[in-house]
Amino acid sequence: MSADTLAAVLGLAVVHRAIAALLITGVAMPVVGVFIIGLDVVTMRFAMMHVALLGVAVGLMTGFDPTACAVLLCAAAGASLAPFAGRRDGLSGPMVMLMTMAIAAALLVLSISGVNAAGAFELLWGSLLAVGMRELVLVAVLAVAVLAIYLGFRRPLALLLFDIELARCSGVRVEALATLLLVTVAVAVAAALPLTGALLVDAVTLLPALSARNLARSFDGMVGLSMVFGLVGNSVGFVIALLVDLPLGPILVLTAGAITLLTFVVGRKR
Amino acid sequence: MFVPPVAGACAELSGESAAPALADWCAGLRGAALTIDGLSCRFGGLVAVDDVGLQVEAGEHVALVGTNGSGKSTLLRAVLGLQGRSRGRIVLDGTDARSPGEWDARRRLAPWIPQRQATGRFPLTVDELLDSSGHRAAAVGVATRLGVAALARQPLHTLSGGQLQRCFIARAFGAMANGGRLLLADEPTAALDFDGRDTVAGLLRALPASVLVATHDRAVAARCDRVLEMANGRVREVRM
Repeated sequence: MSADTLAAVLGLAVVHRAIAALLITGVAMPVVGVFIIGLDVVTMRFAMMHVALLGVAVGLMTGFDPTACAVLLCAAAGASLAPFAGRRDGLSGPMVMLMTMAIAAALLVLSISGVNAAGAFELLWGSLLAVGMRELVLVAVLAVAVLAIYLGFRRPLALLLFDIELARCSGVRVEALATLLLVTVAVAVAAALPLTGALLVDAVTLLPALSARNLARSFDGMVGLSMVFGLVGNSVGFVIALLVDLPLGPILVLTAGAITLLTFVVGRKR
Repeated sequence: MFVPPVAGACAELSGESAAPALADWCAGLRGAALTIDGLSCRFGGLVAVDDVGLQVEAGEHVALVGTNGSGKSTLLRAVLGLQGRSRGRIVLDGTDARSPGEWDARRRLAPWIPQRQATGRFPLTVDELLDSSGHRAAAVGVATRLGVAALARQPLHTLSGGQLQRCFIARAFGAMANGGRLLLADEPTAALDFDGRDTVAGLLRALPASVLVATHDRAVAARCDRVLEMANGRVREVRM
């Protein structure tokens, strides 16, 4: 890409919004990733994609805002998982059930309402370059909420994500905090889907958190490093995608993946 | 019943290198009575604890011995509400915990040394673990006595089994200083070397509070006021 073209691209409003979205998600979503890994709910992303799809289907059928329906339904689904958080069997079973029931319900709603299913499935293929101000504001509000949760509950969070029984015996209100985290994770995934699509959610959420876990020696260190890796991955990936003029999504995923591999190697040598 | 004199207990707990503040928390300790009546716990069809009744008087130290799988850990976990009960009462300091708030209060009253110390999915430093006791000074003091205070910045997953056990013991003593009145210790010396076992047995003996300790360690059991044996989920007294 020539310098003139690059300058023209960087002057576009959609690119400004994409950069803002990348920076915001680069800081906040890795913290959500830390929550996901800590609660051992990596499959939550799949479950929430299905629930979000149901939300969009309901929105399209009823005429309400599909994104708002998706976010609200995901929040409810996250809260409904909370009672299972402290159980020996974990959350995998309830999440699989939620996932399959949600997709079945979504297909049923789409069929009954006669709405074009393609409209609902577009949610799974979000694009940073199609981000509107409304989505950007939603993610910004979410980012503030995520950071506030981390700063407000640092000590109980460290204990809960380390070991649920230790947390319980240290006076942490495990059920309440797990509910807060699960709702946060569910809403964050739902809110990020229109920006990043299903593919990129992992790149901005889980990969920076995994990179941080390879190197961190404490909970605070893990959160801090995950934010650094999120910002660096998003920024470097964006610049590479611009310079080589390739699709942004795959480049961001590959950049975040390369950082994770690097931290894995460095972490093993320490 | 042997009640350790506070001055002697403080000396034992503080050792030579601990902070002077140790004496303050130690002097404030006291025991609470535990009454278990008709307690049964099940894992599906398996009865792990079968109609157990036992009493720990305030300030009394009781050892619970028995073969692997006899129900000792399940019993201790039931006292903390970490293991559900199918029936029976567990009354500590006059309260049979039922509501979440009562369980929170119970866990503050009854600090726990778990049999299997968590290394966690996440990095947590020794310092953060000791801090979670609610009484950092006391926990650090006992950690110093046990030789693990210098590991403060180490993540728990990098420690040996013995070091990890010492850290969790120090944390439990810190929690005792933070209002604990009954120490529940589940195999507290299982991963320790000979010196470590003696030191921990001495620390437990010196604690001027109630102690219920599940153990296979004769040194620990010998220093308790009473020894109870568990077999097939049932309890019987073997020595007064």
